[in-house]
Amino acid sequence: MVRWIVSRALGAAFVLWAVATLIFFGLRLIPGDPAEAILGGPGSQASDEALQKVRLDYGLDQPLLVQYVQAMFRLLRGDLGTSYALKADVAALLGELFWSTLTLTVLSLVVAWAFALVLATWATRGGRLGRMVGSGMEIVAAAVPHFWLASLFILLFSTALRWLPPISTPGPLGLVLPVLTLAIPLAGFLGQVMRESLADALESPFVLSARARGESETGVRWRHAIRHAALPAISLSGWAFGSLISGAVVVETVFARPGLGRSLLNAVTIRDVPMVTGVALVSALAFVLVTIATDAVDRIADPRLRAR
Amino acid sequence: MRPHSPARIRRRVLGASAALAGLALLVSGCAAGPSGSSEPTAGGTLVYASGDAEPTCLDPHVGGNYPQALVATQYLESLVSKDSDGEIIPWLATSWKQADDGLSWEFSLRDDVSFTDGTPFNADAVRANVAHLLDPETASSTGYLALGKVASTESVDDHTVRFNLSVPDSSLLDSLSMPWVAIQSPTAMERGKDVNCESPVGTGPFIVTDWVKQDSITLERNEDYNSPPADADHEGTAWLDEIVWRFIPDSASRYAALQGGQVDVIDNPQPSDISASAALDTISELDAPRPGAANRIELNSGKAPLDDVRVREAFIRAADVNDGIESLFFGTAKRSYSLLSSVEALGVSGEEHFTVDLDSANSLLDEAGWTERDGDGYRVKDGERLTLDFPVSTNQSIPAEQSLFEQIQATTKAAGFEVVLHPMDLSSWYGALAVNEYDLVSAPYTKVGPDVLRILFHSDSIVPAPSGYFANLSQLSDPEVDQLLTEASQVSEPDERAALYAEVQQKILGGFHVLPLYDQQNHFLVGSAVNGLRAMPTVSTPTFYDVWLTR
Repeated sequence: MVRWIVSRALGAAFVLWAVATLIFFGLRLIPGDPAEAILGGPGSQASDEALQKVRLDYGLDQPLLVQYVQAMFRLLRGDLGTSYALKADVAALLGELFWSTLTLTVLSLVVAWAFALVLATWATRGGRLGRMVGSGMEIVAAAVPHFWLASLFILLFSTALRWLPPISTPGPLGLVLPVLTLAIPLAGFLGQVMRESLADALESPFVLSARARGESETGVRWRHAIRHAALPAISLSGWAFGSLISGAVVVETVFARPGLGRSLLNAVTIRDVPMVTGVALVSALAFVLVTIATDAVDRIADPRLRAR
Repeated sequence: MRPHSPARIRRRVLGASAALAGLALLVSGCAAGPSGSSEPTAGGTLVYASGDAEPTCLDPHVGGNYPQALVATQYLESLVSKDSDGEIIPWLATSWKQADDGLSWEFSLRDDVSFTDGTPFNADAVRANVAHLLDPETASSTGYLALGKVASTESVDDHTVRFNLSVPDSSLLDSLSMPWVAIQSPTAMERGKDVNCESPVGTGPFIVTDWVKQDSITLERNEDYNSPPADADHEGTAWLDEIVWRFIPDSASRYAALQGGQVDVIDNPQPSDISASAALDTISELDAPRPGAANRIELNSGKAPLDDVRVREAFIRAADVNDGIESLFFGTAKRSYSLLSSVEALGVSGEEHFTVDLDSANSLLDEAGWTERDGDGYRVKDGERLTLDFPVSTNQSIPAEQSLFEQIQATTKAAGFEVVLHPMDLSSWYGALAVNEYDLVSAPYTKVGPDVLRILFHSDSIVPAPSGYFANLSQLSDPEVDQLLTEASQVSEPDERAALYAEVQQKILGGFHVLPLYDQQNHFLVGSAVNGLRAMPTVSTPTFYDVWLTR
């Protein structure tokens, strides 16, 4: 157990370091001057004095490797720096944005699981027709891109029916369309995986013996088979959480919701290096933690793993 | 003609019923819609949804772009403004006088105005603003350029300020009317850049009270307001209690939010939405083209192949844009044949330079030595294909404009041009321009007055700024053009100034350096609850001072 924790922690540290390094050099390989981002964005026609001063103040006149080492030491101290564009502490900014994105992604994950469970049980119960309809719905759901779904929902539920606002509002109503947009494609993926493993589980000897003991059909499904069927889907949830964070870039932009994804898009456009690094690190950290958590849940749901 | 023929009677009946219907419309229009005669009512919160990038600083002295101007128009004011005829009118300055040698200007200032932090508005405040704009710490670009000829300022008395210039500047009043040189409280500016960026303090009808980054800015009514420009609709405080200034990047969501009533005014609507909303009586349109340069494609004459005037003319003769503008913009954008925006009184239109003629394009290219064609139909000279690189900023060019560029790519192919479009984000786009990796480019430029021509076409503007940016993207370098532009910028006699600007525009148009497309599009869609909205005749930003709500 201790070995497991230590190896996971080391792996997580390596992932974070790799992310910070990739972003540091990546943002300098593409065109665009960070000094300009500090002075009001690209094309700001800042004066020579202003640019010189900013390069000096921010240490941008140093050789790249020196800047890299300095940046890594700052990160080790937990100092994410100051956003070039927003002129505010990145950690404080991320603190606010993180909860907004976390709410969105966690709700989406929960809704996706609910949809997927319903789809999978319904499809395995409904005979051949149910299988066909169920898998058809899963494939369609998994295949639709977020931006298309978001536009469709806005046209349908905001413009035509006037039920829901097309932009984020303080109340919970504003969350409905963003969450559905993120949850439906994910439900498609999870549903496919769950349906296959549920079908496999229902063919297994232990289900046969449960039936032989006189267990009802519902009991067979919910007490025995679903635990098996959920395993691959739990493992997938780590990956799913990562995909939700990347989906948040589109969804937060379309629905004008404050959050990590929308900030990332803005920050990349103007080469706000500390902000991009901050968002990427927080997302990577969340991804790593969720992956570890799903592994842990896997070990609880599947006693066989604990023996290893 | 036979009297009372059936056809004639039918026409009469039709005519009468049409007139009745018209009358009914007119009556119902008076009853339901807002009209000039109904009384404004105070109160309410208006929600504005902007599709522009969120400013990084609310003080428009810092940097100086259009999103800053849009919001700053609500809380900052300038020394002078413009009326809808383009005449300079009093604002914070009541009158002004230019010295005979053109080297100094005296402005009499209002003596009854205070900033919203209580600091009095006076000559010293104006001087502090000029100093702030010229201070490298401020990192001003637009305002800094506008005041480029100001050498020093002095207080003649408490409410008279003198600007001393290094050379005469016929555009000084135009420049001072812009929001990027608006007057802020000197006390507030002393708080330092970071604080002033968060909460700049002016004399305007609204006050910045809150800014939640990446979400919205809250503006509340200034209860002591007394300084509207001379062409405003009313006096005293604004009608609205509050404006919530939101940022909604996606244009479809923005338009849906306007339709759903979640927001009251949106900017940057897509042409298709403008066109669709014309049929709705719940949404009206405010079309306010920006001043300065018209949107245009600039032909880089600083390197081959467009350094040859015959190749430039061939490109322009081959590029058929009118049908594209009509269909892609749904009739919301009008074709321009001018270097300047249609709101600029001194703009010259040169339609004759832009007639489409594929035959003459082909013979011009033959003359220029591009005689062979390769297997793909593109022209070739000395083994080199006639390729034009066209970096396109996806942040600045809306989808309709990007499609228009694709049409230009298709129509010029017939003459043998290979136009290669490179869609890029803003930083990469500026990067490509800085290293001269372009033959064609479309870059907007907003400024009040014809002096924008000097910025865009004087050879001095080919010298890059430290950031690598330069404004003369056609790389036009002609001593005669330089001479005319310099003279025009210094001459104060109006007719002489107009003649010089007309001459230089004809020269630039005739040199085929630019393919004008349309005015810099600046449309706003307005919900039916909003009354009294107008755009400032300076840089076409909407002002909410006269606006009242009927919900």
